[in-house]
Amino acid sequence: MTWHVAEEDLRAYAQGELAPPLLWSADTHLTGCAQCRDRLAGAVDPVALDAGWERLDAELDAPRPGVSERLLVRLGVADHTARLLTATPVLRRSWLLAVVSLLVTTVLAVHLADRPVLFLALAPLLPLAGVALSYGPALDPTYEMAVVAPMHGFRLLMIRTVAVLTAGLAFNGLATLALPGYGLLALTWLLPALALTATGLALTPRLGSTLAPALVGGAWLTLLAVAHAHTHGTLAPFTAAGQSASAAVAALAAVLLYQTRDRFDARPVGGFADGGAV
Amino acid sequence: MTPPPAPARQPDFQELRMTTAPSTVTATDLSLRYGGTHALDGVSLRLSRGVTGLLGPNGAGKTTLLRVLATAAPPDRGEFTVLGHDPGTAAGRLAVRRSLGYLPQTPGFHPDFTAFDFVDYVAILKELTDRGARRREVRRVLEAVDLSDVRGKRIKRLSGGMRQRVALAAALVGDPGFLVLDEPTVGLDPEQRMRFRELIAQAGEGRTVLLSTHQTEDVAMLCHRVVVLARGRVRFEGTPAELTARAAGRVWSSTERDPNALAGWRTGLGTFRNIGDPPKGADLLEPTLEDGYLLALDSESRTVTA
Repeated sequence: MTWHVAEEDLRAYAQGELAPPLLWSADTHLTGCAQCRDRLAGAVDPVALDAGWERLDAELDAPRPGVSERLLVRLGVADHTARLLTATPVLRRSWLLAVVSLLVTTVLAVHLADRPVLFLALAPLLPLAGVALSYGPALDPTYEMAVVAPMHGFRLLMIRTVAVLTAGLAFNGLATLALPGYGLLALTWLLPALALTATGLALTPRLGSTLAPALVGGAWLTLLAVAHAHTHGTLAPFTAAGQSASAAVAALAAVLLYQTRDRFDARPVGGFADGGAV
Repeated sequence: MTPPPAPARQPDFQELRMTTAPSTVTATDLSLRYGGTHALDGVSLRLSRGVTGLLGPNGAGKTTLLRVLATAAPPDRGEFTVLGHDPGTAAGRLAVRRSLGYLPQTPGFHPDFTAFDFVDYVAILKELTDRGARRREVRRVLEAVDLSDVRGKRIKRLSGGMRQRVALAAALVGDPGFLVLDEPTVGLDPEQRMRFRELIAQAGEGRTVLLSTHQTEDVAMLCHRVVVLARGRVRFEGTPAELTARAAGRVWSSTERDPNALAGWRTGLGTFRNIGDPPKGADLLEPTLEDGYLLALDSESRTVTA
């Protein structure tokens, strides 16, 4: 052992007054350090000490979390939030690999055609699809248990949305770096991505978790097709005016989503995996 | 067809205690449609502490009723209270969810989670965010279902019976006052089923348990009350003894299938066991809970021949 729990912390631990994250650190250290456990045994307050041993016992009993969960905790994410994030269905390896493959293929196609439009059209759809698939019965095996849990459904949705958006935007960002020749134009997927994701979520309580993102995605592709038919240069959504419109839509949708947040709790927005078994 | 009145019978002490026990869950006129189907059609019932069995054939509306009472699906019509809370309001719904343990018909698991991880995950959903308290609670419920030894095993490596116990452990997190179990013994072998029944019986001590099943043995062994549901309607509500008593004088044996019987099947002795209105001079048999259940289904019953 290269370090030991400080005397003061050990006393606070024995009295049950040591707060996280120092508490977690002490828990972890005490599991492996007999010297500190002996010092702890000599500390005050036998009742609090029993509680400490019990907590330590539970700590020893718990299996070690996975790599991604440990990484999130090291990055400062609270351990319970890290576990919720780890359980986000679309953050699994298979989905992430599919997204990366799709982006690599698209970037290669852009290089071949020497036009970024394919990438700009696809990039906003990936976060929309990822967020849509991060809740609801289709991919979340614990969906039905989560629906009846006291944790507010909107909070769980937002935790997952932030996680999926972060991953999705990071991948899109990396792909953008592979298109340096297009300058800022290669970044014009970002605001449409936020607008589509926010609109998809805002419409979900009304239209359901499948129809809402499907309609929003369809509307995006239709808009691009119409713009393509009437424009020879940069398509309208990727111009300054189009970007402003995307920002406005994203802001409006975010407000609407916040106003309807309680609807995510009142009824299962995605229905049930069995379509409503009777 | 109007069944003849069941013979008069004095309720025993246990039944009297149950009928006077205070209601913990009450439902009035619950209705819910899926598409054009009345999944629930004016369901009213009262539950008290202990295990109540919800019997019914496939498609009877059992899962829908459980989902409604567990606040997973709001009813189109009607109202209900759980432990005095009204889930019609946001505050009431939250209060119900805080006192609820729910084991769905097909509990899903994250495949990479261990038994401990999964129960821990559900504990977080149940607002246990303090790590130390949460881990102690996870350990407690895993011990309660006798899974401490496999807590570190991935769920995909556990047997079906063990997975059901993991799901039950998750439902027990937070010591809920109302436990909703949707066909938890389906797919289990007889030994696992017995083990699971013991756990349900333990869980029923001091709390209200609603157990959906289509196995009358589950009800006979575990339940102090039983509700029979068919086509979204309550066909019977009472004690298992009262359900059995409904078949008194309406079960008879015959050497050939009786075409007038409501239902009939060949027994291991080679004779037919019939239920319905017996012919004059019929060889009447002692009724079972299953006979009472089939009669309660009434028009749902089909004549079964071997």
